[in-house]
Amino acid sequence: MGMVTKRKKMHYGDTHLQRRWRVRNRRRDLDQIDDDLRTRSGELINQNVDLEKPGFAQFYCVHCAKYFIDDAAMQGHFRTKVHKRRLKALEIEPYSIEESERAAGRGSFQKAKKRGIETQPTKEEVIAGKRIKVEEKVKITDTDSTPATNPARATRSRPQKMET
Amino acid sequence: MRIETCYFCSSKIYPGHGVNFVRNDCKIFKFCRGKCHKAFKRKKNPRKVGWTKAHRKTAGKELAIDPSFEFEKRRNVPVKYSRETWQKALEAIKKVTEIKQRRQDHFVMERLRKGREIEIQMDVKNVQRNMSLIRSPAAGLKERRAKEEAEEAALMDEEDLPEEKITYVDARELEKRLEEGMGIEDLEMLEA
Repeated sequence: MGMVTKRKKMHYGDTHLQRRWRVRNRRRDLDQIDDDLRTRSGELINQNVDLEKPGFAQFYCVHCAKYFIDDAAMQGHFRTKVHKRRLKALEIEPYSIEESERAAGRGSFQKAKKRGIETQPTKEEVIAGKRIKVEEKVKITDTDSTPATNPARATRSRPQKMET
Repeated sequence: MRIETCYFCSSKIYPGHGVNFVRNDCKIFKFCRGKCHKAFKRKKNPRKVGWTKAHRKTAGKELAIDPSFEFEKRRNVPVKYSRETWQKALEAIKKVTEIKQRRQDHFVMERLRKGREIEIQMDVKNVQRNMSLIRSPAAGLKERRAKEEAEEAALMDEEDLPEEKITYVDARELEKRLEEGMGIEDLEMLEA
């Protein structure tokens, strides 16, 4: 024939999935994120300018371990299903190596606790001293405590765009 | 020789088996086989995968909290070898495993027994709810009707009367006759 024919792909399989699961494409695990939330949420939300990162590392969602290019994108992300799902997933204590050993019969296996998880505070609030709290969920009897925290979220104003 | 536990399914890993994965924060994840490794790569939660120990224990299928689990642990304290302690430890291990096994079996049997009770209750409820399939709701009605018919038939048998003859009599004439002094019996006699 002499013509250059393009090979037609008949079966593409799950290569795209396999690529996503490669180690070099690995994202932060839930237990790492849990550690971030508990110990270094402040420094992650208020990062130094890094020209390599999207948005110069100024807009970081700690729960999803993701950088955004600007505040609008981040606020939009907070309203998405992906983010809400992640919050839900973080509510339960993450699985760990220790837990796997306890499940194997080395020590008693306690059920994982449930915590209250909320979307992170803004950068201004973090500078003012607010940090993400990961607290164990108390029984439904004292629901009074939860609305008390809500007004803070309601009054939170959209921060102005950062000057870079 | 150390027998490790799988991160995902909590099974034993004998030397020469499985895969180690070292995450970039120096944590070592050990997997007994490709199945577990793959599941980890896919970020599956072992608590939600039915065939893992973590799932079975969170779901309450197996004994999870018991003092017999406190013996086998990584203590990270070197013990100086002595024949006596070694022998004692061996015996203790045997005893502990036996007790542990018994308790686990007991737990499972208790669980199953509870299930059996619930099953019986459900069966009773099922029968009560679907009683109409076993016994027709109209059965009572039919029985009653049959009974009534039988009673009537019995009554008929007892009386066994011939049909009464009906004679038409002029009422005024009858009155006159009664006035004349004749009884009803006489009338009947007359007709006969």
